[in-house]
Amino acid sequence: MARWIYCICGVVAATWLSATPVAAHHSFGAEYDVNQPITLTGVLTKIEWTNPHSFFYMDVTDKNGKAANWKFEGYGPGVLYRLGWKKDVTMKPGDRITVTGWRARDGSNWAHSREITFHDGKKLMFGPPSGTGDGGIAPAVDVK
Amino acid sequence: MRRFLANTIFVLALSAATLFAQPGSPVPRGPDRKPDLTGVWQGGSTLRGSWEETNAGFGVGGSGKNTDAPVVLSSNDRPAGREGAPYQEWAAKKVLEAFNRRGIDDPTSRCLPAGVPRSVMLGLFPQKIVQTPKEIVVLYEYMNMFRVITLNGKHPDDLLPSYMGDSVGHWEGDTLVVDVVGFNDKTWLAGTGTFHSEELHITERYTRVDKDQINYEATMVDPKVLTKPWTLESTIMLREGTRLEEYICAENNIDPAQYEYLQKKGVKIER
Repeated sequence: MARWIYCICGVVAATWLSATPVAAHHSFGAEYDVNQPITLTGVLTKIEWTNPHSFFYMDVTDKNGKAANWKFEGYGPGVLYRLGWKKDVTMKPGDRITVTGWRARDGSNWAHSREITFHDGKKLMFGPPSGTGDGGIAPAVDVK
Repeated sequence: MRRFLANTIFVLALSAATLFAQPGSPVPRGPDRKPDLTGVWQGGSTLRGSWEETNAGFGVGGSGKNTDAPVVLSSNDRPAGREGAPYQEWAAKKVLEAFNRRGIDDPTSRCLPAGVPRSVMLGLFPQKIVQTPKEIVVLYEYMNMFRVITLNGKHPDDLLPSYMGDSVGHWEGDTLVVDVVGFNDKTWLAGTGTFHSEELHITERYTRVDKDQINYEATMVDPKVLTKPWTLESTIMLREGTRLEEYICAENNIDPAQYEYLQKKGVKIER
């Protein structure tokens, strides 16, 4: 029985504390809502290993037995490879996984992935931290 | 006696140099005794070690070996701990507007090159430096871009404006100084909305302080949009065993369409 587990803990933009600039292709903040963290468990249906970003799709059944196919966005193939992912090996359609991430702003079955937990408990990052690419918590110029 | 004194001073100086030297192995040098920058590197990191060792845990852009450390800034973010970019008042407003639009105008979201110094300072993708006595070639995985830094040469006088500019370098001691001109006005420098004009002139300084680390400094001058030179410093770390991957951004870039879709739907994405 798959469950929807909504993480209600607020995600703090602690990004300010560190200085490593990461590339961010797109604006996380434009498409996804940092205030809507989500954890979902389901069965993987499809993976698109594409640039600039990869996507995977997962069937999720809620506690009333209603099924829905969710779409998740993440890093491109090169970044995933360097994080330890192996295409068609690490994760395949049919696998049961748990994903943490943040929901899309339009409230559809679409989210930005962060961490994936496999059935054996192993975890790997599939997407960047929340807020990536939207400009951070302060503009590049000082605001008077 | 004089020789003894000289020897003593030499030994003391050597000890001091050893004491205050950066950690790590010596700087590799080419036949011309200049530092050899050849290798695969990661910008924007301060951690020594392989890509796997330094980017595990929270993942790339994360905390490396320390999984409890906070997540990190992206190249769209204002570099931490630095003064604001010195934009002219009208230009600062434009930068702020881009920030408030959450970076949806980012040229890279349309798969355009990240430009300089952004391509050098970003950390999600490796860059490979290939050094020869006459030119230094840098290959950037991000957007599949390249730069050819001609050594001891001159900029061509018929330059077409470009995303990565035209680079001419020379050595000042152990520092590679690169003069970059000939830019178009279609890239962001460092942080959301940090636009510039075609008059952008960048001076980069690459100093390999030991085997693992290049100290990087970029000074940007643009009289059309900045009030004074803007200097950013960063480190570029050696990632032995890492290879460049292909990055074909146009393959499946849905972001501009997503922005348009959300805006049409009336979803508020601005700050």
